[in-house]
Amino acid sequence: MNELNVFLFNTLLFSLFFNAGISLYGIFARPSLIKKIIALTIFSDTANVLAIVVGYRTWPSPEQSPIPPVITTTNPTTEDIARFASQAVDPLPQALVLTAIVIGLAVTLFLVFLTLQVYRLYGTTDVRRVAKLRG
Amino acid sequence: MIELNTLTYLFMAVAGVVSLIATYLAIVENDLVKAVIFSALQSTVYTIIYYLLMAPDIALVYIPVSVGLYPAVILFLIKKTERTEGDLEGSGGDSG
Amino acid sequence: MRIKKLLVLSSLIILVLTFSLAFTKGALGYYPLPLPGVRTLAYWYLITTLNPRYPSFTAMSPEAVTAIVWDYRGLDTLFETAVFFLAIVGALALARGISLKKALDNANNKDNGKGLSLICKTATRLLTPLIIAVSASIALHGHLTPGGGFQGGSAAAVAPLLILVIFSVYFLLSKGVAEKPMLVLRTAGLIGIYLTALAAVLIGLVTGLNAYVFQNQPKLDAPVGIPAQVSNALISGTLFFFNLSEYLAVASGFTLVFMLLSIPEEIVRSFISGEAHE
Repeated sequence: MNELNVFLFNTLLFSLFFNAGISLYGIFARPSLIKKIIALTIFSDTANVLAIVVGYRTWPSPEQSPIPPVITTTNPTTEDIARFASQAVDPLPQALVLTAIVIGLAVTLFLVFLTLQVYRLYGTTDVRRVAKLRG
Repeated sequence: MIELNTLTYLFMAVAGVVSLIATYLAIVENDLVKAVIFSALQSTVYTIIYYLLMAPDIALVYIPVSVGLYPAVILFLIKKTERTEGDLEGSGGDSG
Repeated sequence: MRIKKLLVLSSLIILVLTFSLAFTKGALGYYPLPLPGVRTLAYWYLITTLNPRYPSFTAMSPEAVTAIVWDYRGLDTLFETAVFFLAIVGALALARGISLKKALDNANNKDNGKGLSLICKTATRLLTPLIIAVSASIALHGHLTPGGGFQGGSAAAVAPLLILVIFSVYFLLSKGVAEKPMLVLRTAGLIGIYLTALAAVLIGLVTGLNAYVFQNQPKLDAPVGIPAQVSNALISGTLFFFNLSEYLAVASGFTLVFMLLSIPEEIVRSFISGEAHE
């Protein structure tokens, strides 16, 4: 049973790696600027999910799953805190991924405006045609 | 019967495979509107993965941003520029 | 083409399953995933996030992720907000000099004939107050449950986007939601963040004690702090005010970007080619 669980978790891990690979191919090989932007967002999202996967932990017992890092009482005792620390997942990658999503969004918005300006000045968003124009 | 932990891991694995299919279809598609819709589908599957990995904060950010704001911005961009990712021949650039 | 896509997809899935099987059986080395237990740093954060028995280390907030974002690593969030602001400044600079005032005077700014059908408009009228109420609840409860300023702000930005698409941008302008008021709101949110970060320092200057920037609770050598409870309700010091200011800043920033994106192309071309002036 334990091997089956490890196999299913590794399937998730490898499908994320393949997602990253396919989106990298999309950034390099597809000629439209808009397709490059879509592939860039998929790549950064996949990197964020990989960071969260690193923070997961094994199940404390087959009926008790790990809990999100939120204490559910406002006056916890020492036993509450000790039990919470033995069941909760890692909160630090989640805070870093929150920052990363905001920064990725800001960069994508800026890229969208730059693409609009390229279209207004050159009349096309195909990088092969823009390269032929020689500035 | 299937235990609870095996069921959760099975959901994670199925979600991973569905996101792989959605990513491949989004990158290979020539019509850009369909590519955006596949990308939104892939973002929904990623939200399910975030929830199963016990990260509710990230899932709360990810749904409005990736399923609402990103496709809306890119659809605005497609409306103002070209809709299909084409081949090299053909008339160069059409007006707005 | 469909056969080709199906073939590539099935071969990708088989490749993923094969790699995963090889990894499980130890063909690439033996790594038992996922790991048991958390790291030492994560254990420390989980122990001290709401622990009155460590009064000089705790953040007095039951939500560990919000405490890390605004208390333990507050400077990271400050620079992330600065990066977002720079992106909006870049977008504004590209749209400098272009305005919708001329088109607004020409166009009929009542909503007859513009926008989508009646069903969409009625549904939007019902949904918009609900969206804003839910997003405010997510933002203001950020220190007790999963949520916070950025989550609430991006959920609140969906409502002006809906109104923009279903009614028209002229409707939004006629209700007073233009570029200048949104800039004012965004700057007010950023000033709120700035003042909350300096709150402990100002209290320390007035009373002559030592204090640091971004300080939440009293520490060992800096006995100045924002109170963690107000008449038996937990507000976790500066976290509540940070969430409130960030909500305001993020929602108005996104609305500004959408209004800049929705200017029609004819108006932009007439400005770029020099025919029209502001």
